[in-house]
Amino acid sequence: MKWDAMQHFLLILLCFGVALAPRFIPLAFFRKRKIPKWFMEWMEFVPICLFTSLVVKDIFINQSYAFSISGQGPELIAAVLVIGIAYWTRSMLVSVMAGLAAVFLLTFVL
Amino acid sequence: MTKLVPNPNESAWKENLKVSFPLDLSYIPIGLACGILLHAAGFNTFNTILVSLLVFSGGAQFLIASMLTINSPLLTIVLMLFFLELRYALLGSSLSKYLHGQNTLFTFFFACSLNDENYAVNYLKFSTDKKWTPKDALQVEHFTLFFWTISNLVGSLIGSALTIDLTVVHFALTALFLYMIVMQLKDLLKVFIAFLAAGLAIFFLVLTKSTLGLVAATLVASFVGFMLDKYFRSRRHKTHKKSIFLKTFKNPAGTPKE
Repeated sequence: MKWDAMQHFLLILLCFGVALAPRFIPLAFFRKRKIPKWFMEWMEFVPICLFTSLVVKDIFINQSYAFSISGQGPELIAAVLVIGIAYWTRSMLVSVMAGLAAVFLLTFVL
Repeated sequence: MTKLVPNPNESAWKENLKVSFPLDLSYIPIGLACGILLHAAGFNTFNTILVSLLVFSGGAQFLIASMLTINSPLLTIVLMLFFLELRYALLGSSLSKYLHGQNTLFTFFFACSLNDENYAVNYLKFSTDKKWTPKDALQVEHFTLFFWTISNLVGSLIGSALTIDLTVVHFALTALFLYMIVMQLKDLLKVFIAFLAAGLAIFFLVLTKSTLGLVAATLVASFVGFMLDKYFRSRRHKTHKKSIFLKTFKNPAGTPKE
């Protein structure tokens, strides 16, 4: 099925709804109430776990949700490189650009 | 010596632009990549601008693009997106204590343009800079939103002019997440939890065959982190020795500026 611009527009509106709800509701709810301390301590671990899961999905999980690393050589090497560069430079821009350059070059070599 | 004192007359928006600038710059390649992918998925330029303004999430927009290219039905895309965006409930809650006393309209606009990266910047500023106000935070969000949208627009136009290897472009997002993980690795416990999350993510993704696995892995791994942190802290209380798991790493780039 080929989508037209109107269907894309509808998709965007629905996506706006589901994207906004989890951002707005807790923010508004906890604005007037005190958040329990244990909750904040727990939240400290949430971003790192989520980002790790997302990276793992991108690199190790294929389109049919099976574990696979075939053809992922360039991404794997580039990922290690990005981790090193991020650790030493602490620069988002340098890390992302180096990662892109590495994948680009490695797809030629491997 | 006078030069070292920050000029109080310098307008706040310039200061905020400075704070958001590293983020703005890194949005350019990622936004370009996203615009190119959305164009390849069939989005026209107007819709690309609209989705950047309304959804404003690299992860979500990459997901929309890749699901459209594999012809997923509308409802599946929306549902997947919902699970992907669910994490903002957690990020939003952790910022909410800084928004005490703001009205609902402000909170609404703040929520609209909240995303992973400006969350990280604002959370850091709120927790380290006492003068950081919700208004400053919103302005940082808007600067990042502006750069993001323009980059997506340009990406969409580039996409219609050139053919580009999309696998390379897709890595921009992975690299961004990797950077953000590294920024969070402050002690050995966090490193351990990252590995745990990685293992759990593979397990739950294969098990659920959906992005729901991401939510499950995140909830379980972060909860284990929370419990271990509590355990090490209580032991420290008894033995008066700081656990090596909680020792803060040295920053190789020197002491943080903030």
